Amino acid sequence: MLNRRNFLLASAAFALAPKFAYAGDWSAIEAEARGQTVYFNAWAGSDTINAYIKWASDAVAKRHGVTLEHVKISDAGEVVKRVRDEVAAGKQDGSVDLVWINGENFRAMKTAKLLYGPFAEALPNFALVDVEGKPTTRQDFTEPTEGLESPWGMAQFTFFGDGLKVPKPPRSMVELMNFAKANPGRVSYPAPPDFHGTTFLKQALVEVIPDRLAFGKPIDAEGFKALSKPWLSFLDALHPGLWREGKQFPQSQSQITQMLGDGELLIGLTFNPNEAANLVAAGTLPATTVAWQHTEGTIGNTHFVAIPVNAKAKAGAQVVANFLLSPEAQAKKADLKTWGDPTVLALSKLPASDQALFSSAAAPGSVSLPGPAIPEPHASWVALIESSWLERYGQG
Amino acid sequence: MSRAFTSLPLLILFVLPLGASVVLMAPLFFDALAFQALLAHPQFWGALRLSLATGIASTLVSLILAIVIIANTRRDLVRDSGPLLAIPHLAFAIGLLFVIPPTGVVARLFEMLVTGGDQPPQWIAAQDPYGISLTLALILKEVPFLVWAMAGLLDRDDLRRVLQAHVCVAKSLGHGSRSTWFKVLLPQLLPSIIWPLVAVFTYGTTVVDMALVTGPTQPPTLATVIWRDLNDGEAVMNARGAAGVVVLSFVILCLLLVVGLLLRLGRSRIHGFYSRYPTPENSPTAILRQIWGLWRLSYLVIGVLLLLQSFSGQWPFPNLLATHFTIAGWQQLFGNFAPLLTTLCHAALASLAAMIACVAWLEWQRPARDHFVLLACGMALCLPSLVIGLGQYRLFLLLGLTGTQLALFLAHVLPVTAYVFIMLHGPYRAFDQRWSATASGLMVNRQRFLREVKWPMLKASLWAAASIGFAVAVAQYVPVQLAASGRHATLAMEAVTLSSGGNRALIAASALALMVLPLAGFAVAARLGRSRWSV
Repeated sequence: MLNRRNFLLASAAFALAPKFAYAGDWSAIEAEARGQTVYFNAWAGSDTINAYIKWASDAVAKRHGVTLEHVKISDAGEVVKRVRDEVAAGKQDGSVDLVWINGENFRAMKTAKLLYGPFAEALPNFALVDVEGKPTTRQDFTEPTEGLESPWGMAQFTFFGDGLKVPKPPRSMVELMNFAKANPGRVSYPAPPDFHGTTFLKQALVEVIPDRLAFGKPIDAEGFKALSKPWLSFLDALHPGLWREGKQFPQSQSQITQMLGDGELLIGLTFNPNEAANLVAAGTLPATTVAWQHTEGTIGNTHFVAIPVNAKAKAGAQVVANFLLSPEAQAKKADLKTWGDPTVLALSKLPASDQALFSSAAAPGSVSLPGPAIPEPHASWVALIESSWLERYGQG
Repeated sequence: MSRAFTSLPLLILFVLPLGASVVLMAPLFFDALAFQALLAHPQFWGALRLSLATGIASTLVSLILAIVIIANTRRDLVRDSGPLLAIPHLAFAIGLLFVIPPTGVVARLFEMLVTGGDQPPQWIAAQDPYGISLTLALILKEVPFLVWAMAGLLDRDDLRRVLQAHVCVAKSLGHGSRSTWFKVLLPQLLPSIIWPLVAVFTYGTTVVDMALVTGPTQPPTLATVIWRDLNDGEAVMNARGAAGVVVLSFVILCLLLVVGLLLRLGRSRIHGFYSRYPTPENSPTAILRQIWGLWRLSYLVIGVLLLLQSFSGQWPFPNLLATHFTIAGWQQLFGNFAPLLTTLCHAALASLAAMIACVAWLEWQRPARDHFVLLACGMALCLPSLVIGLGQYRLFLLLGLTGTQLALFLAHVLPVTAYVFIMLHGPYRAFDQRWSATASGLMVNRQRFLREVKWPMLKASLWAAASIGFAVAVAQYVPVQLAASGRHATLAMEAVTLSSGGNRALIAASALALMVLPLAGFAVAARLGRSRWSV
């Protein structure tokens, strides 16, 4: 017992070691950050997330003298475009200081050398990240992050609905298809390239294609064409039972949630396992709401923040990224009443007082039927999934 | 004051940026790969078809309805249509979003009166695949514009005198009032509203913000496809979007040329109308007389629905009213005050700058030079906002201005100046020069004459132009979105972003704010523009 405790202490000390190694540099960065304005470009499709970012901006202003401005965007692709245009035009003091990003957008920025860093693993709080238990904190859609982005939160694809109307939740894509056939017009998913829609399509892909190993590797158009046949025939079979017979699709996940509230749809989807609980707490969904994941697992990933190479307030951006990793900010984010986004930290690495911040009591609407997390396919799959979907189903 | 100096504001704020934007679009003509990619886009043809269909249908239906209204309504239509013009298209599209969809008011009423079920119907859609709701929203907005343009023509003294003579002759030849209208007046009026019609057609074919809110989705209109590509993370997609802008503009240009040619060829037939056998029918049917009233009512209904929605909490189907009411939507709108403030400041600033630029030009430049400015205005109004927006964005990138307040100001001031100049040009140039002669005879200097005689006499026109400028600024989306680089948000940008989300109370509140701002500007202008004496 004693040995074990000693071991934990030793590993905690070891984990915290980088903090001291960089302490000198870090205080210089903190000093430089004071007074800077950080333009944080972040998807703004959810009120609870926007409110959390507001909270964070109040906190960094008070503690670090950094002004955090939330630039509300609807797709991180816009930011990649903007930074690319600015860098191409030689603009040094770019309009983006920090961007909420992952997957194909990270890969696009990394390959085009549009990212500043490596910075992430030198952040004092990075030592607390659960890099062993949550390997996706350093592997973004299997692409190594190489310190160019700092983990922010964990996500896992989750479905939800009113337990009274969906007494036996479908626990696989095939069951979902049968549910849609039994309840025609009451199930849908957002049209890609909305990332929830793309994730729904990935989920279908990993469930109908037996060769899981292929997903970890880059793929080209021919390879995808050969592999994707069962996926397309599954979608062909699914679509007639969907809302508008699969000819039109909602624009966003939040629209689906609204339609769920109206009774127009029966099943909602989200990347945040605690979103349904959060919506129940907010009074938007009834207390009879249940959330579930598929038996064989659902797509899970990590979302990050990154700093563009032409950011004006690089020091300020690092201070914000470090604050977002702090136990306090991570606990607030994981709180069901705030956002409910699961933490990237290893609770075992935190002192007991910080561990207590993370309460794990189940609430109405939390995931009652969990499944394992399935890693994201390599980022090169995304464009192919989206374009082949558009080709086949984009004509109405 | 040197005469050349007075032309500078208009040249710097309007003509130069417009020219530079168009020139900067030129390199896009030579990216062959991007055009190939565009033609290979799986949605290209379907999207193009939808764009043209909505553009053509909305223009034709609006024209017909506007003619019917003009012919059958005995009211001051110029004054009536003013406030309707001021409401941004976008606010209207969002309003329709609460009327049409399966959980909208229409469906709720239908369920209550006809079927009595409690499941939202599946036959009705806000973003129908045929673009019907987009066309409907366009028609509702464009009819008042065409009515205003035609009524304005009929109000012109010179034209009125000529037309009245024609009416007398027609009546004496046995034409009834309807016959006079369609066979005598209309063939003379139509050629004069060609440019407003072209503007309506290009707008309908290329609009982005409305199509994002209420347009079809699979495939969407071409403008939406282009807009997505322009905002994509991949450089090849951006190039494909730019190619789309070029192609869409080219198709529109070709169509307009064909229509123009057909009209020219068919001119003899159009003139044949004059000699048609007169019909003595006189009284317009009661229903036709009510169309204008219904139009104004529909605006009111949409305003009221938005208001209701903005205070609604949970609103399960098929209840006709929400189960509880809340001010959360408005709290959120005002809690995020920056977009409101940005819109207000930039709209006020842009209309002020445009007024100064236009008045300086009209007061001190020779009328002979107006042609060239009017041509620029026509370009600004008839070119798709995607063309100007993208060109401007490239200009701002080049100057390192993207994301600055200056870029935002320039993006607003360009379209505003075009409208203000067109609004002011007529009244200002028609000002009777004898007043000026009298004043100098009385040894009144120019400054005093302008301050105490000319501008007060033109007060109504000046304020009207300013209020239209203000409304135009509030409604800007594409150019401002591109110029702002995410650093700044305007009310229109917020409304588009919100409308793809689910917070209906907030969406309705922002659409209402978008309606109220220009209307308030309009009311203020109408109040301040009242003449102190009547001449």
